[in-house]
Amino acid sequence: MFQDDYIVSTLPACTEIPGMIWEKGLMLSKRERERYSRQLPLIGEEGQERLHDASVCVAGAGGLGSPVLLYLAAAGVGHLRLVDPDRVERSNLNRQVLHAEPDISRFKVESAADKLRALNPEITIEALPVAVNSGNVSGLAAGMDLLLDALDNYEARYLLNRAALDRGIPLVHAAVNGFFGQMTTIVPGETACLQCALPHPPEGVDASIIGVTAGIIGLLQALEAIKILIREGELAKNVLVVWDGRCGRLDQIPLVRDPACMACGAGDGS
Amino acid sequence: MMISVRVRAFARFRELFGERFEVAVPEPATIRDVVMAVGQSNANGMGELLDSGGRVKSSVIILVNRERVTGTHREDHPVADGDEVAIYPPVAGG
Repeated sequence: MFQDDYIVSTLPACTEIPGMIWEKGLMLSKRERERYSRQLPLIGEEGQERLHDASVCVAGAGGLGSPVLLYLAAAGVGHLRLVDPDRVERSNLNRQVLHAEPDISRFKVESAADKLRALNPEITIEALPVAVNSGNVSGLAAGMDLLLDALDNYEARYLLNRAALDRGIPLVHAAVNGFFGQMTTIVPGETACLQCALPHPPEGVDASIIGVTAGIIGLLQALEAIKILIREGELAKNVLVVWDGRCGRLDQIPLVRDPACMACGAGDGS
Repeated sequence: MMISVRVRAFARFRELFGERFEVAVPEPATIRDVVMAVGQSNANGMGELLDSGGRVKSSVIILVNRERVTGTHREDHPVADGDEVAIYPPVAGG
């Protein structure tokens, strides 16, 4: 079900030539090699440098954004752009594990940035207390290698999807409710886009959630992000990964690109 | 004549209706017939499956034999004896 043709690695050719930029140990500081020593055997210094050189926009610093940001910062993603207009409320704290009681009424992006800088001072954190809207979304996506949808509404999600398509940037979508969650990876021009996958947002608003659900789906999303950035592993392309926490199972619902899609197909008249 | 259609329900729908089961619907059958039969198996079923206009909620993902069925007329999509209909309600929170 997974297609690997997006994952094109040119690293072997580079690493075989002595003196090139990819020569082992050239880019990482001693402190970074110590910090990442348990993952370097898995992803290599090349993989670590890819993370270090990456810029990722995480839209939403709440239930999904918290685990996503924590683990991407810990893994060493070099530039994280945080986007969320909201302030921390006490009712957030059952799931938004980046924030704590003293952060109530602070901007979530500022609360998050403090924790992430303390966790990993080697990386750059950009905290933008703004809502994703049609006027700013293109700028928010500019210069990014990857977009992560940790949003809580489809209006903003479709805007992020549009920006991903316009700029040709991969987008990992995730959403949660109750004990259930979903995740998919969108590669512009190759996979179903978010609007092909989910052309109609769910009706009604049910904000109930057990925090663990956001943790699980957020970490699936973070793992997907790391695999995209280091260009290894199989991705959730053209499948909606569906988590059912009530019975502890993951399923993959197939997705197909819609040629008449309003966003990525002929449906937009472009 | 009645036909038997296999149903796979995910997430919230699995919770309401069960994971795998069969429904009997009169031939010729459509997705709508199957959804109505599924909805009747639970007191809250119809409210979860249908919108206020009585149509299958547009957000619900429907697959017949693992192929996605979309479009405004998807309720009329034919379903045959032994087919598998999968239903999933997407979530929105973050």
